[in-house]
Amino acid sequence: MRGFGATLGLYEPGRGFLYRTPLAVKAVASLACAVAVIAWRSPATTAVALLLAVGGLLVGARLSPARVLRMLLPAAPVLGILALYQGVAQDWLRAFVVVGGITACLLAARALTLTTRTQDLLDGVVRLVRPFRRLGADPERFALALSIMLRSIPYLAGLFVDVRQAARARGLERNPRVVVTPLVLGAVAYAHRTGEALAARGLGEGEPDEALPDEPTGP
Amino acid sequence: MPDPIEFRGAGVRTHPEGRILLEPLDLSLTEQRVCVIGANGSGKSTLLRLINGLLLPTEGAVAVHGNDTRTMGRTVRRSVGFVFTDPLSQLVMPTGREDVELSLRTLRLPSGDRRERAGQVLRRFGIDHLADQSSYDLSGGERQILALAVVLATEPRVLVADEPTTLLDLRNDARMRSLLAGLDQQVVFTTHNLDFALESERTLVLDAGRIVFDGPADDAVAYYRELCGCAPSPGQ
Repeated sequence: MRGFGATLGLYEPGRGFLYRTPLAVKAVASLACAVAVIAWRSPATTAVALLLAVGGLLVGARLSPARVLRMLLPAAPVLGILALYQGVAQDWLRAFVVVGGITACLLAARALTLTTRTQDLLDGVVRLVRPFRRLGADPERFALALSIMLRSIPYLAGLFVDVRQAARARGLERNPRVVVTPLVLGAVAYAHRTGEALAARGLGEGEPDEALPDEPTGP
Repeated sequence: MPDPIEFRGAGVRTHPEGRILLEPLDLSLTEQRVCVIGANGSGKSTLLRLINGLLLPTEGAVAVHGNDTRTMGRTVRRSVGFVFTDPLSQLVMPTGREDVELSLRTLRLPSGDRRERAGQVLRRFGIDHLADQSSYDLSGGERQILALAVVLATEPRVLVADEPTTLLDLRNDARMRSLLAGLDQQVVFTTHNLDFALESERTLVLDAGRIVFDGPADDAVAYYRELCGCAPSPGQ
């Protein structure tokens, strides 16, 4: 289970002003980055967004340039194909605007999750969803679902690494079925285990059937 | 006052005409330490899962402090903590501190209080120095103790533990047993470790979904050894 070994979720303890910045400010900045690169599609906007996102991670989270680049590795194949397509089909400046904009948004979002504890993120989501309680939404359950989803991403990435290594050890890495089948089964098993663990702890069930009395009551 | 844990003709089948996982049983568990032993597939985990409503009986009923697991499931689960054999099945947050905080969310505490209380819980179990490490980086023993801390953070009245020492080495096995022995809660556990079973006040022996012995631990262990055809040789 080497792939799971590095799984600390999306938050990584560290120093830098981003760790002390309130969640609301980071969320608004991340959203503003996305809105800016979509609303004003120009090389200048993309360059500024990229500069701020990379600068934020280097200075605000005190990461090394190599660490920032490594963050983009999982998305690199898709970004590369997109850049190639845009460059060939349109022009290379256009490719920079599109791919650079996506990269800036990815890094801005990553800066938020990297520097915010999962519990603080949960509290933020609960506050955000609270007004929708009137419409029947359960903020705690919503936040729990989101945190489990965020937690699942690195877990599944780790599972993929393990499954691929197991296939390679058997000399079967070229057979996609050998990788996909255990990955799907592992994901379903993980979902089942997580659901059972949450149920056993009474999480995500809303209010108890009635207030727990100090003294036990009969049926 | 109702009994802490009561089985009223509670049984489990895979479906109405299907395989019997647990024969209907009438049982009242009032002792502070209750152990369930039996071979693999004998129904130990099924019995345990009935107690906190993770599994509902297909016939009869189970009640904890008078609350039926079928109709008062959420209330029951908040008063019955459940420790799984594999702690990784239990830990869902990236770090131990966050997992304890997640448990404390059910108490609706402000975030500052939650954080402080999580620290206290981790200190109580002697794992506060591991609070911010990934659960996947901990040893098996540390993980199991963290899983116990996560469950006990909300101070349930009953603790159900499904083979809590099975994956542990000798040292962690002893540490876990000592922690469980020191709890104020009523503890119901399963184990394959017969020395551990001997620490209970009452032991149930399960075989093919039926309780075949119910009594003091030493008698139950002797009965189970005989049932398995592995009674200790003279002098042992």
